[in-house]
This record gives sequence, structure tokens and C-alpha cells, in this order.
Amino acid sequence: MAIAAGTNATLTAVPGIKVGHHTLSGRPTGCTVVLIEGGATAGVDVRGAAPATRDTDLLNPTKMVEQIFGIALSGGSLFGLSSGDGVLRYLEEKNVGILYGGRHIPIVPGASIFDLGVGDATVRPAADCGYRAAQAATTAPVVEGSVGAGAGATLGKLAGMERAMKSGVGSAAIVMPDGLIVAALVVVNPLGDVIDPATGKIVAGVRTPDGRGFADARLMMRSGAPRASRGDNSTIGVIATNARLTKAQASYLAQLTDDGYARAIWPIHTIVDGDAVFAIATGTRPGNPDLVALGALAADVMATAVIRGATQATGLPNLPAVRDPR
Amino acid sequence: MRYRNGMNASVEQTPERLSPWQERVCSTRWAGPERPAARRGCAIHWLRRGRAVACAALLSAAVAAQAPARASFGLTAVEGIKVGHHTLSERPTGCTAILVDGDAVGGVSQRGGAPGTRETDLLNPMNMVDKVNAVVLAGGSAFGLDAATGTVRWLEEHNIGWPAGPSRVPIVPAAILFDLGVGGQPKIRPTADCGYKAAGAATTGPIAEGTVGAGAGATVGKFGGAGRSMKSGLGTASITLPNGLVVAAIVAVNAVGDIIDPATGKIVAGVRNPDGTFADARRMLRTGANSQPPRAGENTTIGLVATNAKLSKSQVTRMALMADDGYARAISPSHTNGDGDTIFSLATGRWNGAADITVVGALAAEAMADAVVRAGTQATGIAGIPAARDLKK
Repeated sequence: MAIAAGTNATLTAVPGIKVGHHTLSGRPTGCTVVLIEGGATAGVDVRGAAPATRDTDLLNPTKMVEQIFGIALSGGSLFGLSSGDGVLRYLEEKNVGILYGGRHIPIVPGASIFDLGVGDATVRPAADCGYRAAQAATTAPVVEGSVGAGAGATLGKLAGMERAMKSGVGSAAIVMPDGLIVAALVVVNPLGDVIDPATGKIVAGVRTPDGRGFADARLMMRSGAPRASRGDNSTIGVIATNARLTKAQASYLAQLTDDGYARAIWPIHTIVDGDAVFAIATGTRPGNPDLVALGALAADVMATAVIRGATQATGLPNLPAVRDPR
Repeated sequence: MRYRNGMNASVEQTPERLSPWQERVCSTRWAGPERPAARRGCAIHWLRRGRAVACAALLSAAVAAQAPARASFGLTAVEGIKVGHHTLSERPTGCTAILVDGDAVGGVSQRGGAPGTRETDLLNPMNMVDKVNAVVLAGGSAFGLDAATGTVRWLEEHNIGWPAGPSRVPIVPAAILFDLGVGGQPKIRPTADCGYKAAGAATTGPIAEGTVGAGAGATVGKFGGAGRSMKSGLGTASITLPNGLVVAAIVAVNAVGDIIDPATGKIVAGVRNPDGTFADARRMLRTGANSQPPRAGENTTIGLVATNAKLSKSQVTRMALMADDGYARAISPSHTNGDGDTIFSLATGRWNGAADITVVGALAAEAMADAVVRAGTQATGIAGIPAARDLKK
């Protein structure tokens, strides 16, 4: 359902969730931190074939840890994973985490996108970036576009970076009449195009050689694209709900959310995409949720967030965004 | 044989007498408009059965001395793949056997929350066996897994299988869908006999689609309860690139969700309003109007993608995983915990070109989405459950 004007239609619509960005000045890259200082049940689905992740194994429902306290998303490929270290430090200073042997262990899984092809590749988000993003985290509506982990994000790379477009961070939320909230945040950095599943039309993607139109990755591929597997990708995101879920149900929610990627990105989950979805359930809404409906809404809201990741971006030289005149 | 799917399908019946539900299928078989085959560059316009028979008769003399005719569209467009259906007469249910001439590297992606499968563990890339001889898709819920036993028997009789000492062990992964609520006789399920007959009926020719084989009892659009659902069935599609790469799909669509054409976002088949229009499951879910949540485990979409490319077991697994994006695009919602959605993948390796797995996987998702849409458009309604072509009348 449509969200009334003035209300928060982003990830922070879920009570208990804060989001902060830090964007580096040396080149377009940075990190985006989701904080759940009260803890949340979590799961993950890593369906891309080239992932850069940390602390995803502990999210397996057969493993011990039941709660996480933050998620660190960043640019900088695997180098950027160190931004999670800064989030750990921030939360430890605030005594947030699982109490273990007299110490707080803040569990903060993370994932990174490959954006080293945009500007000086030696400039990468480090622990300091994660710390500052955590400091900046608030419950205000999430700032979208070319910011934080999405500062260096691009899409539509089937014909190389020369015909790609700029993308960034997108977020969306659905608030149901019965109080169920499902919200998504995503850093859109795929090999493929972004598609509006409601119409099948391209929102952003590979440009034609003259740069004025869309080449359409679907048509390129069906007519025999010469070489499709190119680097510089990964779409990483978070789905959050106020529903009460078990750890296994949170994993299921992450899997269903991946269908939102599938509907709004073409192609997705390729050998050169490290796509990952984290799911967090804060459990403040009592009762057992309808898992079929919850999963369907999660995919739906993620598809909307992906589209916003394209439409809210700001272009860079030679990397126009949707909103730039063509 | 009067049954519409005679070319590569067997059905339990006497020529002069059809069961009531088959009469309905046969009497309405040409009722609906054919889906425009030119959508997205598909070269082959589907011949109606009558014309196909005439063509087959004319062609048969010319090609008699050559290899059996191979379909130019659908799963059998992949060289070395045969498909056969067997449909039970007592109730709309049955099975579909996909046979590999020789063997193929196999994989699986199992994402739905309520699966019924066999021999899927051996498809894990870490496990030893890397060749598959056949895949069976069946109705009948968990009981229908028995169909694979019959296909194994048929293959053993033909000395096909994994060489193990003195014997050959046919590797036949399988998956089922839940259709026990359709047709009123839940005790009627595909058995080993069904899998045996489907294997015996398998050919390289054009594949019968619609209310047949594993899709005979398939339905979609169950967010308003069974009374507002629609008949779906079995669909197939393929994509052939100029360089010779072929990627194809076959699927029996029995989803809780609606079938969507991803090229337009429009509903092909799904929850009906009382006036026969679509209620739109996406809108129902977003507004909380799904007052009758579907019963978990009474759905499931099962399919297979195949290519003539040479792929490793890991790559063929990635192909199945990417094909699942075709489900996500053409079925909304998909992969729910009330769906046991499963996709098998086969790579025959008969094409010697350099296969980019991103291309193979992306096309597998496209072929699968096309096949899902055809499962909606090619289905024929049964008593109380109309198909898309019935609504258009």
C-alpha cells in the first residue's frame, strides 16, 4: 500500500533500526551501516557467485549465535570488509552485543561491492569509515542515491564501463494495515540492467553506443552477446521486518527477498555478481506472521528499493544516472 | 489416438472412450488463441495439432532414412534430449520423463519451502556422480516420487546408467508437485508404471504442452482459495543463438502465486474475481486482502533447464540457480514456504563453442520464464477450474 506523504518509507520505518552513511572524499566509495542496538534475529542468502562477505557462516540456522547488532555494507571490494571492524569498535564502546565472558561481543555481518573501477582503486573504505557511518546512524529516513556504500556503484555493464550508468543506494518500506512492516535497503551494483517489474521496462542499464538510449541487456543476450562475464559488480542489501521470526525463518525471508533482485535486475546472480541479502527481524510485533505473505512483500519491497537505487543516483563524468539529461 | 498429445505422450484410454475430464480437454483443445510466438524473437510459430500431423505425414517419408526428427523449439531443441509424458485417465495427474541420449552433467536448485525430491543430494558438486541419465517430474505429491522407479527400470532394461561393477545404475533425480486436491480422487497418483510409460513414450519431437503429464493436475492463483484458482499445466521454451548455443526449459507450474508475463508485468493466469477478471495476487498481498491464506504444501513448480554447452558440475548448478530467477520473474510470489519449487539442469556438452556461464544462466532464466508463461497459455481447463484460454472466450 502507498505510504502517506511525510512518513518514513525507508529501512528505518522499522522501529529499532538506525542507518548511517560515510562517503570518502578521495574517490566515490564509502560504507553504509545498519544498527540494531537492541539486537535482531538474522539470516542471509548469498546467491551471487563472486561474494565478499564476513560473519555470514554464523547466520546459518544450525549455528549458535541468535542475534546480530549491525550490518556493515561497503564499497572497496574485499578490502572494504574492514569497515566492519569500525562498527564493532563503535558498538563495543557502547556496550552493545552478546554478553560473553564479561564482555560485549557485537555481532556485525557485512558485505562489500566491487567499485574499484570507479576512480583511484587504492582508496578504499577502512575501519574508520565503518566507525563514522555508525556514529552518523539515525532513525531518520535513509538518504538514498550516490552515497555511502553506493557512492561508487554502477549498473548496466554488459558492454563495459563505457556504456554503464551510475547507481547507488535505494530504500523502500511497506506498512500493512495490521501493523506488519517490511522494509529494504540495497546497494545496486549489478552487471545487469534495472527493470521495473510492473511494466517490464528498463529503468537504467546498458546504453546504446551513442549514449542516448538503452541497448537492453535482455535483447543483447538473446541475440548473442560476445562476452558477458565482466567484473565490477555485486548487489548487496538488507530486508528488515518488525515480525517475530526464528533464525530459520529469517533465512527464508532472505531467500524470498532475492526474488526482488531477480525481478528488478536482469541478469542477476551471475558468475561475476556477489549478490547477498541480509534479513533482520526485530520481533517487536507480536504473533506469528503469515510467512507466504511476508516473503512476497519482502521481494516486492526489495524490487522497489532496487528501482530507487537507480532513480535516486547522481551521475559522475562518463557515468550518467537516470536523472541526468540524455 | 484422439488425445491431443499423441506425438510424444501416452495416455491410459481406449480409442473410443475418454474419461470425462479428458473429453473436456479434447473438446476445447483448439478453443483459445495461440500465444504470439514472435514475442521476444522466437522464430517458431506453433503449429496446431492438425497441421502438425499433416506436416509430420509429409515429412516422414523424406526423413525416414535419417535420424529421428528433432524439435526446433522447446526442450527437445537441445540435441540428445528426449521428453515423454504419461497422463492418468482416472484423474488429471501424470508424469513427464526427460531422457538423455547417453548422459549429461546435472545440477539442481531447490528453493521452495515444501519440496518433494529424490536423488538431489548426489547432484551436489562436492559429490561423486556427475552424470544424469534422466529426470522425472510428476504429480501426486510425495507418492508421485514412485514414478522415477519406473523410469529407472526402463533405463536398466535399455542398459543405460552409471557403470558400477557388473551393472549399470540409472541416475534419475526427480521432483513432484502437489495436485491431490484436483479431480476428487486423491488416492489416484502416478506410480512406477507412469514413469515407465513416460520413458517409453519419450521422443526428440515437439513436446505436448498444457494439461498433460506432470502438469495434468497443476493449478495456479490460490490466494483466494481453490475456488478462485486457475488451471495451468506444462510449458516448454528454448532459445537458440546464432553461434549454435541452445538453452531450453520445461516446467509444470503449480504455484500458489499468479503467472506473470515479465515482458509486460501483466497477469497471464491467477486468482480470479467473481466476474472472471484477475484479482492480482501482488495487489492482494500489498493491501492485506489475502484473507484466505493458501494451505502450505499444496503447490510447487518443478522444472528443468538444458543446454548443449559443455559445463562442469559447478557451472551446471549455477545454471539451475540462475534459472530460478525465471520463476521469480514469471511467478508472483514464488519460492514461498508453501511451494516446493525445484529446478534441475542438464548440460549435454555436444556444442563445442566457448560457453560463458553468465550467458547460459541468463538465457536459462529467460527460457524458464517463457516456459512458465506457456504453461499458463497452453493449459486447458477442467471441471470448475478454467484456464487462461477459457477466460478469453
